[in-house]
Amino acid sequence: MITFRQYIRQSTTCKIFNAFYKQFVDFVATLGTIVYNGFATLKYICLGQINLKELMDQCVRFGISSLPITLSIVGMTSIIVTSQVAAEMVKQGGGHFVGLLVSILIVREVGAVMSGFAIISMIGSSLASELATMRVTEQIDAITVLKVSPIRYLFVPRVLSGIIMMPILVVIASAFGVLTGALTTAMTTELSFKAYFDSAWLGIYMKDLSVCLLKSVVFGGTIALISCSCGYEASGGAKGVGLATNKAVVWSLVAIVIWDLIFSITFFF
Amino acid sequence: MSIKVKNLTKIFDEKKVLDDISFEVADGETLAVVGFSGSGKSTVLKLICGLLEKDEGEIITSEGDIAMVFQYSALFDSLDVADNISFALRERRDLRNKYTEQELKEIVTQKLGLVGLSGIERKFPSELSGGMQKRVSFARAIVTEPKTILYDEPTAGLDPISSTLIEDYIVRLQQETNAASIVVTHQMSTITRTANKLIMLYNGKIVFEGTPEELLRAENPYTKQFVTASLEGPMQMIS
Repeated sequence: MITFRQYIRQSTTCKIFNAFYKQFVDFVATLGTIVYNGFATLKYICLGQINLKELMDQCVRFGISSLPITLSIVGMTSIIVTSQVAAEMVKQGGGHFVGLLVSILIVREVGAVMSGFAIISMIGSSLASELATMRVTEQIDAITVLKVSPIRYLFVPRVLSGIIMMPILVVIASAFGVLTGALTTAMTTELSFKAYFDSAWLGIYMKDLSVCLLKSVVFGGTIALISCSCGYEASGGAKGVGLATNKAVVWSLVAIVIWDLIFSITFFF
Repeated sequence: MSIKVKNLTKIFDEKKVLDDISFEVADGETLAVVGFSGSGKSTVLKLICGLLEKDEGEIITSEGDIAMVFQYSALFDSLDVADNISFALRERRDLRNKYTEQELKEIVTQKLGLVGLSGIERKFPSELSGGMQKRVSFARAIVTEPKTILYDEPTAGLDPISSTLIEDYIVRLQQETNAASIVVTHQMSTITRTANKLIMLYNGKIVFEGTPEELLRAENPYTKQFVTASLEGPMQMIS
């Protein structure tokens, strides 16, 4: 004979509710941890407690190693979009808007967002797994016992390198995207480079460039912070490292889309 | 008294992992903490060095640093041996600008000499054997001249000869530093070769307290079972 309380506990509805509740608690805890670590990192940056050698190493890792994949993704996205619209626009008599459309698309959206996605896959996952491995092999505990702040030693150079290198990557990737758009237009239509670039310049305003740079700073910092936080909070063995990396990638992707939405509403609505 | 633990309690998920335990370790003394896996031995060390927060009780340690040697060394794999050893001297706020590069180099050489590993400064942890990694982690632990040294299963995963070598170094470091040490171990050889006294934990409580000699002679059913490695006795493994 089971009691009413036991019956409720064993019911499928209760189990589903419990699963949602656990997800919700985990979501709030992760968000809280990221925000807390973000403020702690910011505190050390403001105090100027930055390990310059480590920062340089992380900048090289963030910028140089991810450049090929970032250029590939932005370049290919530009080719895909341009090849589909350029010929059609020329046919409809809007050839002189092809450059304008591609440049707006690349500078306002594709450059920063696609670079963000490339950085998440290339750097974010590697940061999360690195810190998670350090956590499960007690290296982070060792840092703490040696009375060194793990936030200062691990987070500050990584987050700062994201903030510094992401705008540089986005500028290079966006320029590359506009250029591949020009090449695609030249190959698929009879529009000249001059016509393409004349209209491309018309579409880019100072505001677009400023927002693009601001966006990339926020994206870079967010990806590095989320990845470091997820890795830092890992537990267990190999499974814990995998879960932390997975969580870092998912959270970073969602965060980038949310930030992008906020930027679009704030600056272009 | 270098380490004084009084009525220490630690609870994980409503389970008392440590239940009101007390012990003391004087300067120059080594206490071995023994017991089954999961009996709370490593938790004692993590509470003393501040990696975990206690729920109840008191932990009093002498002024000065607490060093810990981790079970699997926990060397920083992105840094070479020299940078691992000098890590605290380079990164700690109060020590950061205290030493010149030349002084740091001399300290690293001296500490490596102390653990019998001169000349491996530029090697990375992945290039070292388990025993060598452990000795490097000893050198890293003593670089700040600690007053308390904690060893978490220092001979785990090592062959008998490397284990003997590690035990010798524990004794040697003890003589060099005169620190109060706690060694968490399962191995009888580590207990008898390194410790002055020991406590045995079971179900979060101290079930035996004495010297290694007393452990071997005691009629206590817990120690008898531990020494004879018998499945029969009051301590039951969770299968």
